[in-house]
Amino acid sequence: MSDGESIKTIRLGGELEIGRKDEIRTALQRSGSDRAVLLDLSDVTYADSVALTELLRFCVSSSHDAIPVALVVRTPQFARVVQYAGLAGAFKIFGDRDAALAYLARSDTE
Amino acid sequence: MKPGSELRLYCPAQSQYVAPIRHALAAFLEALQVDPGARDDVTTATGEALANVVEHAYVRSSSKTRDVQLLARIDRGGRLSVYVSDRGSFIRRKPLPGRGFGLRIIRAIAQQLRIDTTRGTCVSMTFEGPAFLEKR
Repeated sequence: MSDGESIKTIRLGGELEIGRKDEIRTALQRSGSDRAVLLDLSDVTYADSVALTELLRFCVSSSHDAIPVALVVRTPQFARVVQYAGLAGAFKIFGDRDAALAYLARSDTE
Repeated sequence: MKPGSELRLYCPAQSQYVAPIRHALAAFLEALQVDPGARDDVTTATGEALANVVEHAYVRSSSKTRDVQLLARIDRGGRLSVYVSDRGSFIRRKPLPGRGFGLRIIRAIAQQLRIDTTRGTCVSMTFEGPAFLEKR
């Protein structure tokens, strides 16, 4: 699996919160040819439970379709709110894009 | 932090006002020299309480005034209290899988959480610790 061919990258930045719920839901879409998804959230400065619910919905739906999803998270607030919500085990979170891509590549061969 | 400092805000209970209220609270805490980690936590918990008002408070309410109020106050013991209140109706729902993370997040951050539904709903959150003590 090579980046740019079958790994879809979805980038979201800024504050992911209730005022952007529809935008987040619209951004979190897959197409039939996607074999893996990299959610690049490196530039997210804040996330609330509304955003987490949308991300969880997307990851659960992708998991049902056997599509691995990796999240790139760099902001301390985002990392903490995932812990506070008890969702640390629900997402595959990485601190940088390379580690996330390596995970997705491994997932493809398993 | 200076005891007696307080911030009061009134806004329509609409989603576009949640971020500006959070930003105002963050600026208030920054002015009081609260460290960034504690500031993030307080604004995260408060953001959840505000989002609950926007999503649920007025769904079953006939009230013409659909607003949300925020009061943040420091006391002498180095304790920060944040009150988020509305004039709507509190909806007690069964927990659903994949939902209800807001209150869980607040409980993980605040040392005390009270929800008073006597008139509208008032969510009271208390935050304590060295981050909230007065800087000398």
